[in-house]
Amino acid sequence: MFRFQKEQKIVNIAGVKIGGQPGELATVLAGTIFYPNHKIVEDGGQGVFDKKKAEVLINKQSSCADETGNPCMVHIFSSSEVGIKKYIDFVSEITEAPFLIDSTEACVRMEGVKYVTEVGLADRAINNSINMAITDDEIDVLRHSGVDASIVMGFNAMDSSLEGRIALLENGANVAEKGLIQIAEDCGISKILIDPSITPIGNGAGIALRMTLVAKAKWGYPVGSGIHNAPSSWNWLRNKKKEDALIYKACDMGSIGLQQMAAGDFILYGPIGNAPYVFPMAAMADIMIAEAAADFDIIPADDHPINKLV
Amino acid sequence: MSCMHGWPVVKGDYQAGNDKSRICVVTLASHFELVPECMKKVAIIGPCHTENLGIEKIIANVVANPNIRFILICGEESRGHMSGNTLKAIHANGIDDNGRIISSEGAIPFIENIPEDAVKRFQVQVQLIDRIGETDMKIILQIIEEYHNKGDAFSEPPMIVHAVQKKRKREKLEIKGAGDVLISRDVSLDASSGIIA
Repeated sequence: MFRFQKEQKIVNIAGVKIGGQPGELATVLAGTIFYPNHKIVEDGGQGVFDKKKAEVLINKQSSCADETGNPCMVHIFSSSEVGIKKYIDFVSEITEAPFLIDSTEACVRMEGVKYVTEVGLADRAINNSINMAITDDEIDVLRHSGVDASIVMGFNAMDSSLEGRIALLENGANVAEKGLIQIAEDCGISKILIDPSITPIGNGAGIALRMTLVAKAKWGYPVGSGIHNAPSSWNWLRNKKKEDALIYKACDMGSIGLQQMAAGDFILYGPIGNAPYVFPMAAMADIMIAEAAADFDIIPADDHPINKLV
Repeated sequence: MSCMHGWPVVKGDYQAGNDKSRICVVTLASHFELVPECMKKVAIIGPCHTENLGIEKIIANVVANPNIRFILICGEESRGHMSGNTLKAIHANGIDDNGRIISSEGAIPFIENIPEDAVKRFQVQVQLIDRIGETDMKIILQIIEEYHNKGDAFSEPPMIVHAVQKKRKREKLEIKGAGDVLISRDVSLDASSGIIA
C-alpha cells in the first residue's frame, strides 16, 4: 500500500466525507437512478416513474451503506428539464444522502443546479460535471448558484493520454481558456471531486487508474470514477454476458476494486440496483487497504468497514 | 470490389451483415435487430452514442470497405452527444486543425485517433441518408431495400486506418526524487516507505 506525501483534502457534502489517504475513509459509492432504459422510468421527458420501486432501490442502497460503512450518494440522471426537478424532489425526500445532478444535456444540468438553489437543496447537490465542453451559460449558472460541489472531468478528446488529461485540468490544454480546476474555482466550487474519465476499454480506460494516483499526488483532491463504464463498453464482455450473466457481473464488480486499489475515494458504480453486490465488494477492498496502510499511522474512521465488519 | 480481410476492422456494438452491400445503417441511440434475411442486405448496422469515439469507429469501418456507398442515419438522436448531427457535420465540413468536427452541435466533437485522410475519404466515399428520428422499421427496411445494391463500389481500394501517432516525443522517463516506482513524469512511489510524492 502507499501514502501520499501531499496532504489529502477531505470534502464534506451533507455529512458524507470524501477523500483522504488510502485507508482513512471508506470509499463513497453512488448508484445511478433514472438512467436511460431504467425500467422504473415510464416517461423520462415528463419525469414519470414508478415511485414505489424507486423508493425500494434508494432505501436498499442506504441499507447497504449502513451495514458496510461505505457512505452512499444517489446519482440522478435525467434527459429532461422537467424530469430532473421531479427526480430531485423525490430523491431528497426519500434520503438525506447527497445526490449528483447528471445529464448528457447542459440545459438539464443547469436546470437542476438552479432548482436545488431555489428549493434550498444546494448543499446536498453535486454537479456532474465540469468538463471540456462547459459553456459560458453553465459557468454563469454555477457561479450564481448555491452549489459548491462538482465533479471535474479529465476527459480530453484531443489528447487522451495521461499528460493530456492532466493538462486539461491544469491549464486547459488548448481546449479550454483555463484549466478546468481554475474554472471550477471561478464557479465557486470549493468541493472539487476529480474524475479522471473512464474511456472505453481499448481506448485508454486504464489511464484513468494511473491518473487517479497522479491527481491525488499532485493536488490532493478526492478522485473517483464511473469505472463500471469500462466493462460496460467492452464488446467482448457484452457477448460473454449472453453466455453467462455472472461473467459480466464479476468483471463489473471487480472493476470497483481496481479503482479502489488505485486510491479512488468515490465510485459511481452504475445502476443503483447493483448496490447489494457493490457494497460488500467495496467494503472488502477498503478493509484490506486499511490493513495494508496501518503501518503509515493511518487510522480508519470510526464507521469504516474495518471497524464495522471485522 | 473486395473489402479488407477481417472486416469490420474496428470492434464495436454492431451486427455485421453482407460486406458486399452498398449500405450501412447507423441507429444512433436506438437499437434495432434485423432478421438474418434483412442482414443479407446491409453491410453493418449498429448504434452510435458518442460524437467522438463512436464517429471514429464508423469512419474506420466504412473506409475499409469500398462497397459501402450509403449510410442511413436513423433512430433517436443521442441526446447531448448529438452523434447524428455530428456524423452529418463531419461528412459535410470535416475537421479543423485541432481535430474538432466543424459545425457539430455535440458536446465534445473531436477526432483524435484517425487521420484527416480517412475523414476526407469518408466524405467522398459515402452519401448520407438523413432519417434522424426515424424508428419505423418498415420505412428503414424500405430504404435498405432501395439502396443495398445501388450503384458501384468506390473506385479506390480499402483504406487501412492506423491510429494517429502522437507527435509527442517518446522520451525515456526517469524517476525523480527518492521514489523507485515510476507513476508519471513527476510522481513516483518509494516502495520501501510506501510514500507517493
